[in-house]
Amino acid sequence: MSLQSSADVVVIGSGICGSLAAWRFATQGASVLILEAGPRLDRGRIVAAFRNSTRRGDWMSPYPPSPWAPHPIYKPKDNGYLVQAGPYPYPAEYIRAVGGTTWHWAAQAWRLLPNDLRIKSLYGVGVDWPMTYEELDPWYQEAEEIIGVAGAPNTGSPRSKPFPMEPVAEPWSMRRFRERLAPSYAVVANTVARNSRSYGGRPACVGNNSCQPICPVNAQYTGDNAADAAEAAGAKLVPNAVVYRIEHDAQGRIAAVHYYDPDKTSHRVTGKTFILAANGIESPKLLLLSASSKYPNGLANSSGMVGRHLMDHPSSSLTFYADEELWLGRGPQSPSSINTLRDGAFRSEHAPYRLDFTNISQVYSVTQYLIKEGVYGPEFEKQLRWRAARQVNVKNVLEVLPDPDNRITLSSEKDAMGIPKPEAHYSIGDYTRRAADVSKADFARIAELMGGTGLRYSADGQFANNQHITGTMGMGSDPATSVTDGYGRTHDHENLFICSTGVMPTAATMNSTLTAIALALRTVNHIQPAPAPTSSTTSAAREESHA
Amino acid sequence: MATNPPNDLTTRLYDPADPTRRRLLAGLLTAYTASLIPALAEPAPHADRGAFTALSAILVGRQALDSVQATHLYDALAVNNPYFAADVQALLGLIDRRHIDPMQLQSVLDAEHSPLAPLPRNIVGAWCLGIVGSGEAARCIAFETALNAVMVADVLKPPTYAYGVYGSWASKPV
Amino acid sequence: MNTQRICQLGALVTALACGHAAAATTTDNSNATLIQHGHYAAIAGDCVACHTAPGGKPFAGGLPLPTPIGNIIATNITPSKTAGIGNYTEQQFSDALRRGIRADGAHLYPAMPYPSYAQISDADVQAMYAYFMHAVTPVDVATAPTRLPFPFNIRQSMAVWNLLFVDNKPFTPDPGKSPEWNRGAYLVRGLTHCSDCHSPRNLLMAKQSSRDLAGGELDAWLAPNITSDVNSGIGGWSSQDIVDDLRSGHATGKAQAAGGMAEAIDNSLQHLTSADLLAIATYLKAVPAQHDPADTQPVYSWGAAFDELDSLRGVPLPKDANQMSGAQIYDAYCSTCHQARGQGSFDGGLPSLFHNTATGRSQPGNLVMVILHGIQWQSHGTDVRMPGFAHELSDQQIATLGSWLTRHYGNPSASVSADQVKTLRAGGAPSHLLLITRLAMVVVVLVIIAIIGMLIRRKRRKARSTGHS
Repeated sequence: MSLQSSADVVVIGSGICGSLAAWRFATQGASVLILEAGPRLDRGRIVAAFRNSTRRGDWMSPYPPSPWAPHPIYKPKDNGYLVQAGPYPYPAEYIRAVGGTTWHWAAQAWRLLPNDLRIKSLYGVGVDWPMTYEELDPWYQEAEEIIGVAGAPNTGSPRSKPFPMEPVAEPWSMRRFRERLAPSYAVVANTVARNSRSYGGRPACVGNNSCQPICPVNAQYTGDNAADAAEAAGAKLVPNAVVYRIEHDAQGRIAAVHYYDPDKTSHRVTGKTFILAANGIESPKLLLLSASSKYPNGLANSSGMVGRHLMDHPSSSLTFYADEELWLGRGPQSPSSINTLRDGAFRSEHAPYRLDFTNISQVYSVTQYLIKEGVYGPEFEKQLRWRAARQVNVKNVLEVLPDPDNRITLSSEKDAMGIPKPEAHYSIGDYTRRAADVSKADFARIAELMGGTGLRYSADGQFANNQHITGTMGMGSDPATSVTDGYGRTHDHENLFICSTGVMPTAATMNSTLTAIALALRTVNHIQPAPAPTSSTTSAAREESHA
Repeated sequence: MATNPPNDLTTRLYDPADPTRRRLLAGLLTAYTASLIPALAEPAPHADRGAFTALSAILVGRQALDSVQATHLYDALAVNNPYFAADVQALLGLIDRRHIDPMQLQSVLDAEHSPLAPLPRNIVGAWCLGIVGSGEAARCIAFETALNAVMVADVLKPPTYAYGVYGSWASKPV
Repeated sequence: MNTQRICQLGALVTALACGHAAAATTTDNSNATLIQHGHYAAIAGDCVACHTAPGGKPFAGGLPLPTPIGNIIATNITPSKTAGIGNYTEQQFSDALRRGIRADGAHLYPAMPYPSYAQISDADVQAMYAYFMHAVTPVDVATAPTRLPFPFNIRQSMAVWNLLFVDNKPFTPDPGKSPEWNRGAYLVRGLTHCSDCHSPRNLLMAKQSSRDLAGGELDAWLAPNITSDVNSGIGGWSSQDIVDDLRSGHATGKAQAAGGMAEAIDNSLQHLTSADLLAIATYLKAVPAQHDPADTQPVYSWGAAFDELDSLRGVPLPKDANQMSGAQIYDAYCSTCHQARGQGSFDGGLPSLFHNTATGRSQPGNLVMVILHGIQWQSHGTDVRMPGFAHELSDQQIATLGSWLTRHYGNPSASVSADQVKTLRAGGAPSHLLLITRLAMVVVVLVIIAIIGMLIRRKRRKARSTGHS
């Protein structure tokens, strides 16, 4: 079989952003080639792998890395792929495979708030985005209709049209939170890419409670669905193709990309337009790797900002026992949250945050606890049931500000293909730590309202990571301080565009995927505007085209 | 209390009509150890397996344990550990001689720096999590039939299994 | 017929003449009632199933119906005057519906179930005519004509077929049976035309009336035996089971509808009144039993909870997917909903695989079809009740899985081969009807030529022996 070596559009990375961009180009008639470093995956095999796993709390356990396209894993021991330079650990998790990391997300598909795009002007911190929320609104809507988003409108993000689907049915546990926390706190249904009815040829949620690491029935949208849609629309997808260099011509236009197959044979692919969509760590790594004599600091890096301003969402939390049986584990993993603390004048002093309630089954963690504590005999079952029925958790999702010292660079260590590994430099600033302290009062109040006992706060100064990799190739109007313009076009190379969470110049408090998709659709439209609307661009047709 | 649908996992383990599913032995239990579990006395084919099953029953607080599962767990725990059978007998004997309550057992072993200290954890981990060993040597032996899943099976399905048709999780758990 | 028409006109005139002051309201009400009645009858008859193409306008036709002799295109039955039945009189409507004769006198193919619809009462026909003429939006787009291969394109041959196989008599109630049974008989034999799928057909595709409702084959699906036989049919079902199935598409501990039956329930049966569903159940439970000796116990009674988890956990899957065992395939793709022991979800909404006709039949073709295609209802947007696995699973995997399912949850004598899956995936075994018919014709022509030849020779011999004396 001859390998395709040229296309109008070459997309690097088949995650949700890359695949949806490829799909959009393909439906508009362009020839598209997607190069994906990792292999194709099969949903059923992932389910079986998770059930056979020895690490039930490790969402990466059913996604072993490929030798030629490694991704970071930390259990049972750190594979050392993402080198940690400190001062604070950044144990990012992502999947290099067809479909990317949304194989194991919780499908949180949030919009930003209008003020999230203007925190510099409003609050004197961070930067402003090179666009307004109003400009992003129609792209958010389109993204929601393509992937199928269900949500409640009262979350602070304005919208011009309704959600494609009603909110997902509320689990009993979340209902009790909502009822008991009112009126002090408004608990609302999360905005999620999860089916509350059949959508896109995929069934409604049936409550597997394993969204992370895998939705066994594909009720939540994954990058795999986008990759399938792209291929069905005519895009060619080459898996196990590890792009290691982007080649430019004398004028600085991108001419080609080079990739290794698993045998380390090099292949060269040419194209007219290049979309870099290899996530917020692998993309800057590739730009830095592609340094040349003309661009000694790497491609798209005249500003020196490639890899810088690395942001994620740190979380601290409180675990406690409610005074009634709630039985977390019935229904989806992340159903509800509190959204009223995401914005306000306080943002000039400390970070805003969302408060998330988990509905992940507590059975596994309680079992581990009981064994550790030496609870044996008939007490074991009694305590397992009592604790699993009542143990609950609230966590914050904190904004971090863009800090140029937080960045991804190239390590001197190399992976099995001889490619330099990515290195993470990360810290969490006072702006965020102050907010973590403030949020403890909310945690305490919530526990009080739920009759909480056995309160266990996460350790001060220790934060969990949420895998929302942003900022490393930030958008901006000034080429001196940003990597791309407001349409994702790199300032330095007119035919190189970036579709990734990495282009977001601030992180806000919301999971970044939906915003990245909206930006990607806007980018594609900028490159190749869609034809005038026909019946084939209605939302129903979009839904069907993703069936 | 929920009425369990017939043929669920709990039935599989507790079918009183099926004699192969009950494995406890008169010979290895004394009055004390028998008092720690509602006793059912039947000779077991293998003294070693029998001791393991008796000790397991004491540690997990269940009188009826699946014999096939017991064999798999025993084999996994004993592989690369030639002292396992002897350790099990020793611990059973210790519990009996000193009338140690299961809830005190670990702290007693830890306080005395007993070489048997890791054993109860390993056995309970095997039965209740379905996992034997740790780190890179860990092996999964059970998931759905691990006791922690069985003990909550009237209310929860193990993760990855559907709870029910869309919306069924909105109701109050019984 | 003419007398009847005059009576109807007379009735209408009388109705108009009487109650003059309230005539307008009364006529509107009775018209509205008539149309509503006709709408209900059209639902019971499931006209949309054939006469509406997917995504197409209601009743505008265009759907190709695959038959062993080629595609028959369903016609536009909107009241369009150029492309539909807008010019039909009620008599012509009745003839098409009940005798299979179009307004231009040509015969319809019995893909249009006129042999069943022959049972429809005059009152229902009148109401349906009113519905189609007044409540359906005309669509002025003609459908493609049906072109069947010779000799089946000779519609006049249908006259012979009708003579041989069709009983045109309308339904007459049996005074020895309950009103409920009679209503059920009227519906089943007529409007809901169950036998058109559920009865076996002879070589010339006519229903075998002696084996009514004993099961029929439709391409790749089997419409099962719904006689009162306790093993092969629904004799062991309660009336409530039948009503549940016809309304919701499943009966717990018995069966669930897939393929064409899911469609029939979706479009038609779920909308019938409780009384009508109960009548259908009453009638079906009294249909003479037809027994397949292969069914040694009720087809829904097989199997029990089972798992092989002890042998699965901690064992990595083979790299070659075709080497996966049945238990491994079940674990990876099916147990999520049907649960680790095949027992289904707490509330039965995700069904158990044992005590289920899906695994209990001696012929496992429908099991394979459901694994391939899943179950989707379409009438209010796509409702994926079960996803299909045609894309995920190979022929070998489905064969391995199917045989494992029937062995442990169903009838262990029913096994599935990869060849069988391949055939079903392609739409079922091809029919030889066309070939046989043409061969038969050739034989008949040869026989006729031979007879003529014989006669000519005899004549010549006679002439020789008599002509020269």
